[in-house]
Amino acid sequence: MKLPFIDRIWRVKGSLTLEAPLSQEDAFDKLDPLFQTHGTSYQIEGETLKFRKHNPAAQDKLATFTRGSLRVVNREGRSELTYDLTSPALLACFLAPLLFLAFGQATIAIGEYEKSKTEARGDSGKDSEKSEKEDKEIKLHPIDIALGAPEPKKPDKKDEEEEDKFSPKAANILAAIFAALYLGGRMLEPWLIKSTFRKKLSGIPLTSDGKPIDRIEEQL
Amino acid sequence: MTNITLDVFNNINTVATTAKKESFTGETLQCRAGLAPGQQRFLGLGPQIIGVDGMNGVRVGNRIIGADAPVTVGWENIGRVEGGPVKQLVFTWFQPMVLFALIAFWYYAPSEIAVASTAIWIGICFKVLLLGLEWVNPRYESWRLTWKECATDVFYVALGYTLLSMVDNYIGGDVMIEAVQNSFDWDKFSWFTGLPLLVQALMISLIFEFGQYWMHRGMHNWHPLWITHAPHHYITQLNINKGAVGNPIELFLIGLGIGGFFDFIPRAFLLAGALGLAVGTYQHINVRFNTPRWWRFLFNTTEHHSVHHSQDYQATRSNYGATWIIFDRLFGTCVDGEAELLGMEGGRRMPINETMTFPFTEGYKSIKEKFRGRQEQTTTLPAE
Repeated sequence: MKLPFIDRIWRVKGSLTLEAPLSQEDAFDKLDPLFQTHGTSYQIEGETLKFRKHNPAAQDKLATFTRGSLRVVNREGRSELTYDLTSPALLACFLAPLLFLAFGQATIAIGEYEKSKTEARGDSGKDSEKSEKEDKEIKLHPIDIALGAPEPKKPDKKDEEEEDKFSPKAANILAAIFAALYLGGRMLEPWLIKSTFRKKLSGIPLTSDGKPIDRIEEQL
Repeated sequence: MTNITLDVFNNINTVATTAKKESFTGETLQCRAGLAPGQQRFLGLGPQIIGVDGMNGVRVGNRIIGADAPVTVGWENIGRVEGGPVKQLVFTWFQPMVLFALIAFWYYAPSEIAVASTAIWIGICFKVLLLGLEWVNPRYESWRLTWKECATDVFYVALGYTLLSMVDNYIGGDVMIEAVQNSFDWDKFSWFTGLPLLVQALMISLIFEFGQYWMHRGMHNWHPLWITHAPHHYITQLNINKGAVGNPIELFLIGLGIGGFFDFIPRAFLLAGALGLAVGTYQHINVRFNTPRWWRFLFNTTEHHSVHHSQDYQATRSNYGATWIIFDRLFGTCVDGEAELLGMEGGRRMPINETMTFPFTEGYKSIKEKFRGRQEQTTTLPAE
């Protein structure tokens, strides 16, 4: 499905000119470790490599981009890698604020319903009993007085607590956090993946190269 | 002497069947496996207890640890902070300093400041600071937080603040406690409010911890509870928000506490919360600290919790505590050590949708299997 402009939300396209010319085979050989991970399938057709990752591990360098194609083109003695990557994670993060805004609205609706229920019931005797109990004076232990701890204040916030219970504030803040996370991810992830491709093609080892189990066995 | 050396020493007869005891000095137990280096898969018993064949693991208490996946056992073998004197100083003293600073703050803060919203903001700021520490001094490179992991973790945290909190208003622990108290017309244990503040805070923390310990242990020992908890064990790295990753049913169950039955001064709850924040948060964190001895004896640490999350089945059945490790020590489920390879099914990552449906799909499968098993039993008649 082609959705120009809109698909920029979850799709990343880019290109990278290699420092030294590389044949397609050599370039894909160097990138091969990125596709030798759990749940990854890929195929090379001519100058294009297509891959798909099913539920990649957290440590997978391509975890954010689970589908895509890479192409190595040799032109005028220079090699260029072009890539077209798809990220369901970016799309999910883009949509997450809507989910939390919906939660916020649901909280308001529940709050309204509870308020109308309480009003319909009227004030019960229980509340006055409770407030009597709460009015009991709380005294600090002599040790705390000697150490200078402040005297406890009488609680006066029953209504505020009830209001807080059905406040959409948390949901709205979280919606904003996801919007920020999306913007951060949309800028950071394309930069990181380009850097990963560049390092791999230049033969620079990544800090996280090598599986932990292999490293552990080496130590033994 | 560390707990593990004690445990192993107590079980030396069993260990000795696979490992050759070299000496016992009173401080350290030294034994080495009589195996070729290539066979020594079990990690980290360093100069004290080294290497037992991977298929056998090492006996700790009444369990064999490290038979399925590498686990480091024994404090002596755990990595230390690497770097200059300033870094050493910071990562050695950070944990106790923060704990004492928070206790002092909540003890002396004026009543206008000593409120729940302040605690929430301190909690958020502290977690942001810890994210920074994860960046500066990671315990393992393979646990480094990526954007996707961060977004996923925040999603679970967000569910806790919204959906779960909505549900909690109706069926949470506080609601249940209120219902029980109203139906039996019990007065709360009001004399607790007369105790010194720090004693109250300690009691709140320990009462809650005791409930959590047994709930968590129950989750690892009873299938209906396990299927709610299992998704949390599919995490393959520890980061500060990983505690929120899991099925909401589990998060609801683990959050149930009996502390609400007792009356305490609100400030005592804030002090207990500070203890949870300044200690419990380190369960899931990718930071290397030189944790003091007394701390790791009393409190749960990243090291303990990484053993609990390791890919080794028996290791996962240890260290059930949240803030404290003393209940594990008391009830014989403590394993002092650490692990890097975490998760289930060889480290398969569980996606969010599967995490949400897992208890239901697995529950359905289990019931179907049980029913099929019964049918087979009734249809298969013994030969006469």
